[in-house]
Amino acid sequence: MQRRSAIKQVAVAFGGLMSLPAWASNWTPESIGSVSFLPVSDEDLLGELVETIIPETNTPGAKSLKVHQFAMRMIQDCYGEPAQTALKQGLVLVDQTAQQAYTKAFTACDTPQRLEVLTQMANASDPAAKQFVEMIKNLTIQGYRNSEYFMVNQLKYNMAPGFYHGCVSVIK
Amino acid sequence: MSFLNIDSVKERTFDAIVVGSGISGGWAAKELTGKGLRTLVLERGRDVKHVTDYPTTMMQPWEFAHLGQMPKAITDANPIASRCYAFREDAAHFFVKDAEHPYVQDKPFDWIRGYQVGGKSLMWARGTQRWSDYDFDGPARDGFAVDWPIRYADIAPWYSYVERFAGISGNKDGLPQLPDGEFLPPHEMACVEKHFSEQMAKHYNNTRPVIIGRCAHLTKPQPIHLQQGRGQCQNRSLCQRGCPYGGYFSSNSSTLPWAAKTGKMTLRTDSVVHSIIFDEKKNKATGVRVIDAHTKETKDYYAKIIFVNAACLNSNLILLNSKSTRFPNGLGNDNGLLGKYVAFHNFRTTISAEHEGFTDSITEGIRPNSSYIPRFRNVFKQETDFLRGYAAGFGANRVMNVDTAGMGESLKTSLMETKYGNWRVGSHMMGETIPKETNYVTLDPALTDAWGIPQLRISVAYDDNDEKMIKDFHEQMTEMLTVAGFMNIQTHDKPDKAPGLDIHEMGGVRMGKDPKTSLLNKWNQFHTCKNVFVTDGACMTSTSTQNPSLTFMAITARAADHAVKEMKKGNL
Repeated sequence: MQRRSAIKQVAVAFGGLMSLPAWASNWTPESIGSVSFLPVSDEDLLGELVETIIPETNTPGAKSLKVHQFAMRMIQDCYGEPAQTALKQGLVLVDQTAQQAYTKAFTACDTPQRLEVLTQMANASDPAAKQFVEMIKNLTIQGYRNSEYFMVNQLKYNMAPGFYHGCVSVIK
Repeated sequence: MSFLNIDSVKERTFDAIVVGSGISGGWAAKELTGKGLRTLVLERGRDVKHVTDYPTTMMQPWEFAHLGQMPKAITDANPIASRCYAFREDAAHFFVKDAEHPYVQDKPFDWIRGYQVGGKSLMWARGTQRWSDYDFDGPARDGFAVDWPIRYADIAPWYSYVERFAGISGNKDGLPQLPDGEFLPPHEMACVEKHFSEQMAKHYNNTRPVIIGRCAHLTKPQPIHLQQGRGQCQNRSLCQRGCPYGGYFSSNSSTLPWAAKTGKMTLRTDSVVHSIIFDEKKNKATGVRVIDAHTKETKDYYAKIIFVNAACLNSNLILLNSKSTRFPNGLGNDNGLLGKYVAFHNFRTTISAEHEGFTDSITEGIRPNSSYIPRFRNVFKQETDFLRGYAAGFGANRVMNVDTAGMGESLKTSLMETKYGNWRVGSHMMGETIPKETNYVTLDPALTDAWGIPQLRISVAYDDNDEKMIKDFHEQMTEMLTVAGFMNIQTHDKPDKAPGLDIHEMGGVRMGKDPKTSLLNKWNQFHTCKNVFVTDGACMTSTSTQNPSLTFMAITARAADHAVKEMKKGNL
C-alpha cells in the first residue's frame, strides 16, 4: 500500500486535480512474478540457503522476504549462462557437502550445521563451491537490503516528498 | 474529384511545421502557436502524455524485478543503448533500441536517442548553464570553426525568457564565464562541497570557483509554472522516468501542453520525416514529406515556414536527404558543408577522492543536481598547449559502510548497523571539443532504414586536443583535490568510451556570417532557403563547455520570434 499513499501525495501536491493513471490501480506486489526455471525442490533448497545467510529473528529473514526468488530471477535474467550452470551445480554441491559432513540432506540439518556447510564451501579449495557461495551470499545481501521490508523499516526509505540537507549532524 | 484533392491539400496545409517534439521542437511549437500560427508538430515516435504515459514513475525500488538492472538478453541485443547510464529498468522504454533504428559507425559513436513525444527532454540530466561571450567569441579569438554570427548580448534576453518559463534553479554567482540567470532558489551544497569551494577560493584567489549547478527544477514554483499545471520538485531524483509533478522541465509537462492550449497545434505522432520539399519556382521550401511509421504511407504537408528540430544528427540526416534540382546535395548545401563540423562534449574521464574530516556531518535526503566547476582554463587568455577548456561536475557524499563478513545472525546484525565511512567526492569532465571538417555525417549510398530513408554514416572521433585536455583535467583536479586535503585521489579514464555517450552532439548545420562557410544566418535561417529554420543542436557553430540544452531553447524562441515577424512583413 506504499504505492497508493505515494500517489495520494501526488494528488495532494496538485490539490487533488490529478486523475489516477490506469496502471496505478492495477499494480500488485505479485505482478513482478517469480521465475521458476529450477525444480521446486531446488527452489526450496535455495530458500533455505538464503535463510541460513540471513535468518529470521525477531525480524523477517531472507526467505520470507522472497530473496531466493529475487536471486533466481537475477541469475536467470541478468547473469548469463555460466552463472545459471553454477547455480544448478552449486545446489547439488550443497547437498553433497551436507551428506559428507552430517550424512543427511542440507534441509535436514540444524542451523549450526547449515552454517558450517556454507562456511566449509566458502573456504573450500574447489573454486566452484567458493564462487557459488559468494554469488548466493552477494545476491542475498542485495535482495535483503533492497527489499520493501528493509528499505521502509531500516533505511526509512520514502520516495516523496523529498528534501536535501547538505550538512546534518550525525546522531551519535 | 479535383475539389476533394484541393480539400485534402488544404487539410495538410498549415502556417508552420515543426519537425520534432523534443526540447527545442517543444519551444518552437509553443512560440509559433503562441503567436497565432496554425502549427503542425511532427513526431516520429509514439505519444507520451504527461503523467499517464510514465508507467514507472511511482514504482518503488523493490517493485522492479531486477532492482533496476537490465536483463542480459536486452543488453546483448542493445549494446549501444545499454552504454547509457539511464538505460535501466525504470526508463529503458524511453530509449531507442539498436536494431530498430540502425546507423553506420565509420568510427565508434554511441548515438543515444529517444523517439517519442518529448524526445530526450524526458530523460535528460537537466543541467542548464548559460553560455558566455567567452564561448560565443571563442572561434573568432582562437581561430577554429567560424565566427558565431551572434554574441551573448543577442541571446541574453532570450535566456531570461526561457528560464522564467522553464524554471531554472541556481545561485547568482557573478561569474563572467557563466552568466547568472533568472533563478529559482538554488539547491544546497554539501558541507564537503562547500569546503572544496572555500579551499579553491583561498588557494587560487577566486579564479577557480566551485558552485551549485544550475538545473531545470522547480525548487519554488512561480505562478507561470502553476499555470502550466506543474508543481514543486519533490527531490525524488527519478526524473528519467517522467515526473508526475512536472518538477523538472520537459516538453511533455511544459511547452507542448502550453502550445496545445492555444488550439493552434496539431500534433502528429508516428510521422517519420523523409525530407523538406523545395519548390524551384517559388525558390523556397513548401512543406515536409512524411512517412507513416506503421503503414509506411507517404504524405506531404505544407506550410510557409518550417522549423527543423529533429535533434542534431537527425536534423542533419533530414536535410542531407532533402535533395532537389536546386539543392542536389541536400537543402541549402551549396558549399558542401552540410553534415560537417560536428562536435560534442568530452565526458570520457572522471576523478574520485576521499576526505577523512567532517566525520560529525552527513547529508540527508536526495538532491537531483550536483555542484559544478565552471571552465577555468584558457578563459581570459590562452595559457595551455590545447585550445578551449572544460567544466566539471562535482559531488560529495558520505557513504555508509556495510560490514558483510560472516553469515547468519551476526551478518544480519551488521547489515542493520549504520556506519559512516569517509566522505567521498567525484568529478566528471565536460570538455569542449573543436568542430572539425573531418568530424562529419553523411548518408549511406545503399543502406536504408525500415522506412526507406538512407542510414546515417557517422564519422566522429576525439583528437589530440581532447587527449591533452584529459591530461590537464587529471593534473589540475589532482592538484586541486590535494591542496583541499583530499586523499586516495584516483583518475578513471575510459579510452574505449566513444563520442556520443555524452549526448551533447552539436553542429553539421552551423550558423555563421558568410554563406560560403556556414549554412544558417544569425536568425537560424538557411542563407539560401530563408523559410527553413534549424534551431536544435545542429545549428551550433561551436560547443562551449556548458550543457547546451538551455541555449537550444533560447535560440529557438529567438528564431521563432524573428520568423513570425518576417512572415508578417511578407518576407517568407
